Amino acid sequence: MFVVESPSAAPAVDQPPVRRRSREKIRTATRFAVPYLYLLPALVLLVVWTYHPLVQAVELSTYSWNLLPTSPMRPVGTANYERLVELPAFRDSLARTVLLIAGLLPFTVLLPLALAMTARRVGVRARTVYQALVFLPFLVAPVAAAAVWRWLLHPGGGAIDRMLGSGHNWVYDAATAHPVIIVITGWQLLGFATLVVSAGLAGIDPDYTEAAQVDGASPRQIRRWITMPLLSPTLLFLVLTTVLLTPTLTFPLIDSMTQGGPAQATTNVYYLLWDYAFHSFDAGLGAAAGVLLFTGFAAVAGSLVWLSERLAYHDD
Amino acid sequence: MIERLRGVGRHLLLGGIATVCAFPVYWLFATALRRPADVMSLSPIPWPLSLDSYADAAEKVDLAGLFVNTAAVALCSAAAQLLVALLASYAFAMYSFPFQRVLYLAFVGTWLVPFQVTMLPNYVLLNRFGLIDTLIGVVLPTLCSALAVLLLRQHMASFPAELVAAAKLDGRSSWSILWTVVVPNLRPALAALGILLFVNAWNEYFWPAVVLRRSNGVLQLGLRSFMGTEGEDWGPMMAVASLACLPVLLLYLVLQRQITNAFVRSGLK
Repeated sequence: MFVVESPSAAPAVDQPPVRRRSREKIRTATRFAVPYLYLLPALVLLVVWTYHPLVQAVELSTYSWNLLPTSPMRPVGTANYERLVELPAFRDSLARTVLLIAGLLPFTVLLPLALAMTARRVGVRARTVYQALVFLPFLVAPVAAAAVWRWLLHPGGGAIDRMLGSGHNWVYDAATAHPVIIVITGWQLLGFATLVVSAGLAGIDPDYTEAAQVDGASPRQIRRWITMPLLSPTLLFLVLTTVLLTPTLTFPLIDSMTQGGPAQATTNVYYLLWDYAFHSFDAGLGAAAGVLLFTGFAAVAGSLVWLSERLAYHDD
Repeated sequence: MIERLRGVGRHLLLGGIATVCAFPVYWLFATALRRPADVMSLSPIPWPLSLDSYADAAEKVDLAGLFVNTAAVALCSAAAQLLVALLASYAFAMYSFPFQRVLYLAFVGTWLVPFQVTMLPNYVLLNRFGLIDTLIGVVLPTLCSALAVLLLRQHMASFPAELVAAAKLDGRSSWSILWTVVVPNLRPALAALGILLFVNAWNEYFWPAVVLRRSNGVLQLGLRSFMGTEGEDWGPMMAVASLACLPVLLLYLVLQRQITNAFVRSGLK
């Protein structure tokens, strides 16, 4: 009995330090894990709904599949990409997307710049009212915007059409449908861009302007050599926002006003993707177009960020 | 004299553009409030006022149901985004840990993934869970907002470190510091961000259109069902459209400065 007890007695003396050490280990491990635990929900969601789907999209793009769970997925290699590059509709939609973004830039850069510069020189109260009214469209739900513009432009009955007295069917004419989409999107973005430029202008240290005035610079020179360079990060940011927001804002307009028509006149690449996936039920082709879009999107956004870090003058 | 003329010119330019911008929004509500017989009228003020267009619309779609659904989706989505982002940004702002930069870039990187790219796999996944045509399916993929994480991290980074250090000396856990020290002090930022997320979720169209393919679960889709055919009913259509904008515009009316600040800050910082 004594013999049995002694080996258990020995560790009994030894145990506390061992236990303390392991408890400490657990404590350091928990401390190490704490930030990851806080991050966990966000990371899981990010992986499940963004990054894993991105990988899956690449995978899907090498298959031929009609989205039905029961039908088999056939591996086809790069055939989807080859088909896509040869499809005139895809190339046309890319060109139209470039046109769309270029057409939006006057609304998101030039006009806001002019408006914010002008607004700086009127009274505070008037400026607040003007900015509030210009910002209003940014908060209107895109489908509601589509609805009211459809009514305003309606041939014969709409307010704008009757004021112009044209009887022209703006939305159903291939020549004007795309400009209509551009103008409505621009109308939604204008107020937001104006506020961003105003904030950018307000952030410029007035000392620079004063110093230049003391040195005898004219207002035009100040604008050209001080304000614009200091504002350039803001303007590049606006270009980036235009690129990033275009799909969100144009999709509801196109889906509810034109469905990409007439004669494909308003089909940009974002709408085409949706069309491939959910109207033609060609998952492979849709995924391939998505992968190409992601590559292009990342390249454009990446180069804009690079440009803003290289060229922009930071006032730090 | 010339300066005064210039001043008038500025007001004409700004006032003119402001009027052009606000006119469609005004016309939307004006048409919705006209009597059905006056819908085609060009008189600038809708008089006599009438709610007939709303009654008409309510006969065609379940207006109250759509409204409640949209509100539920937007509130759940915004609240969850806020909570998830609060926890994640707390980790980024208060700790330094291995792979921090890489993980942060993973959040920034979501900007580069247009939702059209991930929609197919997301649709397939929801389909596997049997969540297509449900409101849960609309909310679920939106729960993590990278924008919210980045914004809150900025706010927390400028949070006075002494306060946190003092609470730590008191022996409080990081969890209790988050809720008793950080959150109460960040209330204005959290409110502004919450409004921003709510507005975004309320106006969302694309994802509900993918998930709720055959039903009209939310207002934005209910509105679409009024469009598309020739010979539209403008009165009811504008009535639904006005309801689809009303909560956001009312919020704007009450919290104008906070809303514009939240939107501008979301971009500039």
